[in-house]
Formats: sequence, structure tokens, C-alpha cells
Amino acid sequence: MATDSAGGPGDPAVPADESASASDLPHSAFAVYAGESLPGAGVGAAGKDGRLDLAFARDGGETRLVRDLARVPFHVSGTLGHDPHPAGETVYVQSPSGGVAQGDRHDVSVAVGPDAVAHVTTSSSTKVLSMERNYAAAAVTLSVGSGGHLDYVPAPTILHPEARFGRTTAVDLAPDATAVVGEVVVPGRLARGERFDFERYASTCEVRSDDELLVADATHLAPGGDDPAPTAPGMLGEFAVLGTLYVLAPAADAAALADRLHAAVAPADSPSGGASVDANGDADRGVAAGATRLPNGAGVLVRVLGHRADPVTDRLHAAWDSAREGLLDVGAPADRRQ
Amino acid sequence: MSDGEGDSTGESRQSDTAVLESLRLADSSLPVGTDSVSYGLETFIAADRVGDADDLAALLETYLRRQLGPGDLVALRAAHAAARDASGREDEDALAAVCRADRRLVAVTLPAEFRESATRTGGRLLSLQRELREDSFVEAYAESVADGDAAGVYPAVLGLVAARTGVGERRACLVACQEFVTALAGAAQRLLGLGHTDVQRVVVACQPTMEAAVADSADRSLAEMTPFAPLVDVQSAAHERADRRLFSS
Repeated sequence: MATDSAGGPGDPAVPADESASASDLPHSAFAVYAGESLPGAGVGAAGKDGRLDLAFARDGGETRLVRDLARVPFHVSGTLGHDPHPAGETVYVQSPSGGVAQGDRHDVSVAVGPDAVAHVTTSSSTKVLSMERNYAAAAVTLSVGSGGHLDYVPAPTILHPEARFGRTTAVDLAPDATAVVGEVVVPGRLARGERFDFERYASTCEVRSDDELLVADATHLAPGGDDPAPTAPGMLGEFAVLGTLYVLAPAADAAALADRLHAAVAPADSPSGGASVDANGDADRGVAAGATRLPNGAGVLVRVLGHRADPVTDRLHAAWDSAREGLLDVGAPADRRQ
Repeated sequence: MSDGEGDSTGESRQSDTAVLESLRLADSSLPVGTDSVSYGLETFIAADRVGDADDLAALLETYLRRQLGPGDLVALRAAHAAARDASGREDEDALAAVCRADRRLVAVTLPAEFRESATRTGGRLLSLQRELREDSFVEAYAESVADGDAAGVYPAVLGLVAARTGVGERRACLVACQEFVTALAGAAQRLLGLGHTDVQRVVVACQPTMEAAVADSADRSLAEMTPFAPLVDVQSAAHERADRRLFSS
């Protein structure tokens, strides 16, 4: 057991064993971090075990937020009725703290009941701060009941230098439910010249329906470790920002939906789904993007790679909008972030 | 089951048979259709992302380390481990384990054309093997595929076939790598007009990476099957919609 401590006097190290067991690791590569004790408040201690628990239920012609348990750093200040879907309800989750720190263990759960239509997002980017010991992790559990729809599309995750962050997302949906789950990862404060200075980022997404695993995706970027590097050919190449949208609709015509979403995201003038410059020759706005059918009829995967966050979130929003049009006959809510 | 190399005086006939069997499985003339797959390479070339032998070798490193090592080879090893000691069709636990590996690989293989290519070549290898040898365990697996309990993707079928013919697990992984690199180098030869010597140079350059990919796959559970190469996903998505194409993936 680690006994050294970076803390000051009266600030004893917390034993590493308080952290999650091996099976709770976001990725096996995090095992080496898990043994590192934290100075001061330990892994999962007060203020570090953020929890968000939201539940939505259909009530006549509308959807109601029927549970909104939020523990620091999460904060929910109510709902917004700006979804173009007549029954849609929106929650912007706020996070007043400066960012995700070493030892943080966040737990997010969103349950959408039968026929409810819910949209959950964050009011600002998630900044994963620099770390010296241990790691930060978030476990996200999403469920959608029969005939329901969930949009879970948080703002980008920005990985500061030396950040170690793992996220697991588990989606369970009824065979006739739908969901759109998005993720954008930015490898540093690009405007400051930070780029792939973080240590490790692992994000998994597993989709189940009727207890059957339909999809398991695993994003894993470790600039300082494994080869090939995140910037290797076939990985991110010359791009920096990675956006992924899972459009989950087991009952839908996945081939038609994939073609629709591909047309929405892929640069029209590029046969290969990508260009380093956009149609106006703007080198910063070029993206490589495409859509393909997910395994087991689960729906469609959309990937967008770009040089900066904005072009990637713009393309993902276009795909999300098109997916909603295809699945719900109404587009996506406008972005109300400040 | 081991495929020990033997020593200079005591090489067994059994290990010779295993070597011959592995060479047969790695041969590009094996009629399973690997000459029609490019796994997105055709679009990488169309997009000028791969223009010469060096580009190809660099991209193949990503395929080997990010697709095969953490993906295909994990499924191959799990299928092999389950199949090699199975008595026959009555060994339901072993059969279930092969099917689990098969299904997990499908769930983690996100580009649709990758699944289609792996299912098509896997199906051909399975039916070829049933023509060549009688094995009730292989028959039982083929029935599972027919019933939809497994897709019959190539790495799982190769693991099963290798195990049932005495080819060791690690050697079967090397066969899978050799076959993949040979297939993509052959595709590049046609698309880029690479010379024969350049193609062989690429294959040789990939050998250390093949070894690394095989080593990386060794201790992974099915839950740690995590292939990830986002630009490959994007190029494969573009390939699905390409107007003119020589390859099926």
C-alpha cells in the first residue's frame, strides 16, 4: 500500500484501497493510477463523489422531471421548455466547480420513462484538470423505456495537461425506444497551444436492449503511452478533436438512417468523407466525418474529426438534428449555452 | 494445445502437420475471399492519405495495434481456447464460449463493412473446413451460426479451425496478422501499382508490429476487447457510399 503523501502536516494520505475495485476501473490501464493515494480529501470523499440522478416521466401531453437529485458539483436549476417536440423536456446540468480533479468519482444516472421525451446536456464544457496522483472517473447510466426518447449530448470534455480521465457510459433501451448519445473530446486548451499533453483518456459506451449487448465502443487515447500515438494515420491523423454520436434506434431502418446522417455530416465535395480545409478554404474548419450502421441493428454511429471543437460540435448538431427529424419528425433543440 | 517448434533431432510429425496447416491457412490462395477486402484502405488511397509503401506500412501499424491486437485476436484466442479441448458437439459449454467470443467481436466492430467482410470470409472458411474434415464440434458451431447464435466472423472461425487442427493459439494469431497484412498489401499493389519488392518490404516492416499485436492480445478478457481507430471508421463509412470501388470493404 502506498504510504507516501504529497499533503502537508495534518494532511494524511488516504489509503488507495478506498478507491474502486479493479472491476470498477474505467479501463484496465487505470489500474496503475488506482494505487496512488491522494493528499487531503481522498478518493470519493465529500465534494468528490458528485452524483446526478434524473428521472423523466410522461404525463399526458408533456414530459415531467420527476426526480432531480444533484450532489456537488452537479446542480440542476429546473427545466427548459425549448424543445421543438411538443412533449419534450430539457435539463441543463450546471457544474459550478472549476473542473474535474484527481480522485473525483462522478455518478450520473438518467432514466426516461415510457413515452417520455427528454434532453439532458451541460451548461458548459467539462474541464478535466491536471493531475499528479490517482485519476478521475465518471460512470454514466442511461435508460429509456418503451416509446421514450433521450438526447444525452453534453458539451465537450477538455483534457488539461497530465489529465487522467475515464468514463463509462451504459445505455439500456427498450426495443422500441430511441436515444442520441454524444461525446466530444478536446485534447487540451488548443488556443493556448496545449495539444495531447494529457496522460490518458478512456471512454466506453455499451448499449444493451433486453439484456443483450448490442454495441461496445471504446475510445482510448494515451499520448504518453501506447503506440501508435493518437495522431497516427488511421487514428486521428492530422486532426485533434474527436466527436462521436450514437444514434440508437433498434426498431428503425438503420441503413436509411445511416445514409441520412452520413449526408448530414460528410463534406459534400469530398468522396472520402474528409477534407483538411472546408469549402471556403478555411483550414481550421475542415473535418473528416461519416456515418455507419452499428452492430446488431442498434442504430447508427457518427464520427466527426476536426481541428477545433466548434466545427465538430456543429457537425454533430447537424447529425443530431437530422436524426431527430428522422426519428421524431422534429429537429434538435437550439443550443442555449452562454 | 502446443505447437512447439521441436528441437533439431526430435521434431515430431505432429508439429510438422501443425506448421503445414498454419501455412495453408495463411496462404493467400486460401479460397475465402480475402482478395476482395481492403478494410477501408481503398478510401485512404482515394483520399491521398496513402500514396506509397511507407504510408501503407504506417497505416498497417495502426490496423495491427488498434484493430487486430485489441479486437480480432482477442476473439480468436477465446474461440481457440474454448475449442481446442472440446470433445465434440456435445460440449455445450465450449460451444457457448466460442459463440460469446464471436458475438462480442461483432458488438465492438463498428464499421458496417468490416462486419460484412469478416462474416463473408468467416462463412467461407467455415464451409471450406467442413468439406475438408469431419468434426462434430465444427458442425455444431456451424449450426449455431445458421441459427443466429453467432455471426461466424473470420477471427472466431479461424480460432476454432486452428484449434481443431492442432495449430496453437499464438501461431493462429500470427496467421491472422500475416493474412491481414498480405490482403491489404495486395490491395495496395493493385490500387497504387506498388512493385512486388515494395510489397514484400511492407510485409517485412510489419513483422515486429504483428508480434506486438499478438503479444498485446494475450491477456485480454472479452470485456477488454477494445478496437479503436476513428479515422478508419470515417474512411470505411465513406467507402460504403463510394461510386466506384474495386473492393467490398
